[in-house]
Amino acid sequence: MNAMAPATNAGATMRPAPIIEARGLQRYFNVNGKRLTVFDGLSCAVQQGGFLSIVGPSGCGKSTLLKLISGLDRPNGGEILFRGKPVTGPADGMIYVFQQYTKSIFPWRTVIQNIEFGLASHKSLPRAQAREKCMEYVKLVGLDGYENHYPYQLSGGMQQRVVIARAMICEPAVLLMDEPFSAVDALTRALLQELVLKIWSDIKFTVLFVTHDVEEAVFLSSQIISLTKAPATIHENVAIDLPYPRDQIATRADPRFTDFRQRLFSSIFLQEKGIAPDDLKTIRSK
Amino acid sequence: MRRRWPGFLLIAVLLLAWEISSARGWIDPITFPRISVIFDSWLRTVWTTGDLTRQLLPSLGRIFSGFALACVVAIPLGLLMGSVSFVYRLLEPITEFIRPIPSSAYIPVAILFLGIGNEMKIFVVFLACCFPILLNTYGGVRGVDPVLIDTGRTFGVSKLTAARQIILPAAMPSILTGMRISLGIALIVAVVAEMITGNSGIGYFILDMQRVFRVPEMFAGIFTLGLLGFLINFVFLKIESHFLRWRGTSVEA
Repeated sequence: MNAMAPATNAGATMRPAPIIEARGLQRYFNVNGKRLTVFDGLSCAVQQGGFLSIVGPSGCGKSTLLKLISGLDRPNGGEILFRGKPVTGPADGMIYVFQQYTKSIFPWRTVIQNIEFGLASHKSLPRAQAREKCMEYVKLVGLDGYENHYPYQLSGGMQQRVVIARAMICEPAVLLMDEPFSAVDALTRALLQELVLKIWSDIKFTVLFVTHDVEEAVFLSSQIISLTKAPATIHENVAIDLPYPRDQIATRADPRFTDFRQRLFSSIFLQEKGIAPDDLKTIRSK
Repeated sequence: MRRRWPGFLLIAVLLLAWEISSARGWIDPITFPRISVIFDSWLRTVWTTGDLTRQLLPSLGRIFSGFALACVVAIPLGLLMGSVSFVYRLLEPITEFIRPIPSSAYIPVAILFLGIGNEMKIFVVFLACCFPILLNTYGGVRGVDPVLIDTGRTFGVSKLTAARQIILPAAMPSILTGMRISLGIALIVAVVAEMITGNSGIGYFILDMQRVFRVPEMFAGIFTLGLLGFLINFVFLKIESHFLRWRGTSVEA
């Protein structure tokens, strides 16, 4: 295990076994007859209960990593362990929330029927009880009054709430979110960020969050992994020790928030411009 | 309906022009009798004597049994072709080969092994209906967004549940389109088959009236077909918009 998450992790003395572990992941794609290597021996670990964001330059394989962890995609080499067991396909206990919520929501089902799909996928309850439970999650995401609406009658932000509720009703141990808020407007995004944080602190579970937006990552996460360009390795592993609950206004005004954002943003931005991470360290140490 | 009044007005104007042209002798009144005369014989054959109405039922029976059979066969087969790539690769070429053959060309073959009765006509309607339904079903299934399929996978639902609860509803708009095209074809093929052989049905009625030179009755039969096609399509669109109510009533940009 060459590139185990770098030990910049504050207070990582006595940790329980990680909930997710990636060991020597390899993944390549054939693009127009050329082999594109996304991962060539990537390893990392995710602790239980954290809010971990994965950031990095565009095309570095953030989403691919999430797909591999979820079991929706299979690596060409290496393995993923979820609660100590190898992942060979979509694993029970992990739910993937897609970036394209408009394509992931079931347009032929009403809000409550969409959520019911999630419930029915992991337990069968008598009708009345199931409905009651679904209503709980309708309320959780603030969609009461809209439960009998079809997706086409909802705004993008509301559709994303449905998708989140549909995932949460399965009580997943790990929620994998792939740029879930990249397609909604800024204010809706801020509201959804608060919503996800609230659900995360109410119900204890692990979140893996892929985003291209460093600011969003800092605001949400307890830990951020930043990847290098493909073939991706872990460039930085930063614990974000800003206190929870976080507030869209107060937290963003915190000087430490700005520091974290600045530091991560510059490292990703310079990579995007084509400066290698090793040169970066020398630049920054000056 | 309210928005369509100009279209209906045009029909009325054309019918009126026909009436006048025929009355004034601008067109041959024997080949093209006045609309009022045609309407008169339509009323007579439909209501008074019921000669035309009697021929309607056998035609409708053939159309709907052939169509229903096609749905029962082509939808499951299309779902299978759409979801199992081996079945697709096995059946797609033969489908593409048979599909361009005009449905009426099967009739002589069908007569050889099914005779000239109802079975033959239902079979020909069935065969003609199969292709639009089959093509649209597997097209619809193959067009299901991979994100939807992956959504089913991440929730860990079985293949059968995914087929029933994700693939089928996602392909439904396409399947219904295929069914609607087929209904139109069913009408055509049933009429052609009735004209070629047999002694019942609207197709037979139209040809028979032409042979005995009862031109107004012949036109009454033709207009009945137009009305029938219009009604079938109208009812089907109602059913379709009920099943697809989740798409909203209009296309919004």
